[in-house]
Amino acid sequence: MNTQARTFRKLRVMQSHNALRQLLATNPVRILTILGTSLFLASFVFGLSYFGFHELEDNRVPFKGLIVSGLFDVLFLTLGSMLLLSTGIILYASLFTSPETRYLLTTPATADRIFASKFQAAIAFSSWGFVVLGLPILFAYGIVAAVPWYFYPLLPIFLMGFVLLPGAVSSLACLVLMRCLPRNRKQSLMLLGAVVGLLFGYWLYRTGVSAKTALTSAGGRDALQGFVDRFALASSPLSPSHWMTNGLLAAARGELRESVRYLALLWSNGLLVYLLAAFVSARIYRKAYDRVSDGVRRKRAYGGTGLDRIMESLVFYLSKPTRVLVVKDFRTFRRDPSQWAILVIFAGLLAVGAGNFNSYYTADLDTIDKYIVGLVNLSGSAVLLCAGLSRFIFPLISLEGRKFWILGLMPIERRQILLGKFAFAATGSVLVGWLLVIGSELILGLSLDGLVIHAISITAIAIGLSGLNVGLGAYLPNFRETDPSKIVVGFSGTVNMVLGLLFLVLTLGVMAGPMHAAAVMKHFAKNLEPGFPVWAYAGLPVGVLMAVIATVLPLRAGRRALETTEF
Amino acid sequence: MIELDAVYKHYGDKLAVENLTLHVPGGELFACLGPNGAGKTTTIKLLCGLLLPSRGRVRVGGFDLQTEGDQARRLISYVPDQPFLYDKLTGREFLQFTADLYGMEPAHAARRMTDVIELFHLDDFVVDLTERYSHGMRQRTVFAAALLHEPKLLIADEPTVGLDPKSIRELKMLLRRLAAEGMTIFLSTHTLDIAEELADRIGIIHHGQLIGCGTLDELRLKSEDDGSLEDVFLKITESENNGHPASEKLSPSLTLPAR
Repeated sequence: MNTQARTFRKLRVMQSHNALRQLLATNPVRILTILGTSLFLASFVFGLSYFGFHELEDNRVPFKGLIVSGLFDVLFLTLGSMLLLSTGIILYASLFTSPETRYLLTTPATADRIFASKFQAAIAFSSWGFVVLGLPILFAYGIVAAVPWYFYPLLPIFLMGFVLLPGAVSSLACLVLMRCLPRNRKQSLMLLGAVVGLLFGYWLYRTGVSAKTALTSAGGRDALQGFVDRFALASSPLSPSHWMTNGLLAAARGELRESVRYLALLWSNGLLVYLLAAFVSARIYRKAYDRVSDGVRRKRAYGGTGLDRIMESLVFYLSKPTRVLVVKDFRTFRRDPSQWAILVIFAGLLAVGAGNFNSYYTADLDTIDKYIVGLVNLSGSAVLLCAGLSRFIFPLISLEGRKFWILGLMPIERRQILLGKFAFAATGSVLVGWLLVIGSELILGLSLDGLVIHAISITAIAIGLSGLNVGLGAYLPNFRETDPSKIVVGFSGTVNMVLGLLFLVLTLGVMAGPMHAAAVMKHFAKNLEPGFPVWAYAGLPVGVLMAVIATVLPLRAGRRALETTEF
Repeated sequence: MIELDAVYKHYGDKLAVENLTLHVPGGELFACLGPNGAGKTTTIKLLCGLLLPSRGRVRVGGFDLQTEGDQARRLISYVPDQPFLYDKLTGREFLQFTADLYGMEPAHAARRMTDVIELFHLDDFVVDLTERYSHGMRQRTVFAAALLHEPKLLIADEPTVGLDPKSIRELKMLLRRLAAEGMTIFLSTHTLDIAEELADRIGIIHHGQLIGCGTLDELRLKSEDDGSLEDVFLKITESENNGHPASEKLSPSLTLPAR
């Protein structure tokens, strides 16, 4: 190991040691909370996975090996794609915008050494959740499938090998993009994003059409095969997710040699791309940094717009100072292209979705099919809200960071700060939720009962998730981090995301579940009368109560934490 | 020690540094003045190798920053106006990290750490995490780290911001002593008193151009004003703003960039 590598390793060890020692000395409760929550999450994921694998085993489902293999393929492809994106974003922020790299670039630290240091940190940040959540799923599979002992020690080695490849690919892409993009890179990046979004949208559209054919036509095996073929990439022999699946399943079957072959394939490819990225960084990182600093800086006069006034009028029930804070958050949001650009992509996907719904409508769907599609639409919208709120709202308090003293000195109570952020989040998410759910279900032609239940459900979910994100964001803030993507993929962000998903699954199950069960029963009983039995609505008050709890408890905890925050 | 030859730096369409030629010999204390947004920080970033010139050549100690940057940076220490420290390291650990980064021998590093800790009076807080430091404590720690490896060139951006009067006094004496011992010092500052008191030569940058460069007396001659540096500075920059380039009134003995 060369001297600089040793120096950076020593730096990381010292930083981790000091941070842990400080945490133990000043806030042991926080460590217990972190450990307790991690254990709870891992147990929950383990329990859910164990149940699923057990059902598959007990019910003697045909081709269950094929189903498990397909599930793992899709799971690893999805996680790999997310790692590709998150590592790239984190690496961009740490290589090109952080004060630390600005300092290191003025020292004799070599460009590839700075890159290696930041790469390791980005990989650790973006993948720890994947490793922590992936292990319980695979442990559950191992127990149900009664795998040999060496399956378990191989798991972390597989997971670490798997995260290396997408991380290395995205770091290489990040360096090359920043070095080679034209000067007007904002437009170029948006164009690239739009192309990727369109391709994804097209894939989603084709998948939707295949799903519709498989669900509604008598196409049988061919239609189902068409749907499965949409995920062919995940099971391609050249896909790392497939190497991961094959390696793990080979270990589970007791074929150690085959398993190690796939493990070697994962690690060797990951390390090769990493070495290539390090080699490239030694040659282009400083030039890329210079080019990023070179960006076009046109003068532009900013001011208030009608949108700000609309936002303020939507939260008319708040006091004037709190409304000012809401408008400040909204203004920050709309002036950050990286935030609303994602919304534009969401809007594009919504348009694709609407196209799909339209084709469903013209296909003259059976009533039960409309309910199934409506439930999928409601679930998708809820997941979209969960992801959006976790990305944009959860880091809001943390991002006040070293500027928190400005809020601290304002003649406004801290609970009002929290209330303002909650009102901002709830107003935006309820509007987006209604647009997604009511808009598309009107096109779909769902019954009035169904539409009302879905509208109440998405409202409860939007408000509950807003409370959860704002409350937890204040309860577990990270004032030292300036990069929102790092806050989101950090420990507290992951806890928030998983709790949010748990909340929405439970709320959906309680509020919309009974009505859909009733619709299925009516379908099989060939009952054509409108309306549902009373019990189909029984979950609504329970769901509303859950939303109230998800709002009040985190907000209360967040308020207490915020009121004791020193600045 | 510093050679900037016909250097241009563009930020997109904006020209931040224009045809800058400046040579600073070893052991000179050079102060760079200029209004906000004049191009001082960009010039410093070019000297550190943080940015690369759009055109022209930047050399430090004979090494071209663009092609031999790693060798050049071994000779340089940079103290920015917003000092960077690792929050979760103590001051002593940061000094040790700096010594390791510059490849100092352990015994020599230990001796130098003792020296700079004493020099900047860091004893009281050097074992605390730097996240608890005030701005002045951070500035002193960063200066200690910058001088730890005995650089040939010290670049400091607003070095006295956040320091108490006693520390400012000590820093000024230290900078003069270091320059006398052969270290080249490049200061960027808005504190004209410091430039007037310390600098061997003063450069005035305005709209990315070096519009004045020389000793205080030479600048007085150029501005046709016998007043303080403040008077001279204002006269030179205002005459430039009024469309009368100061170079038109220059004494022929002064070296100024070609336009």
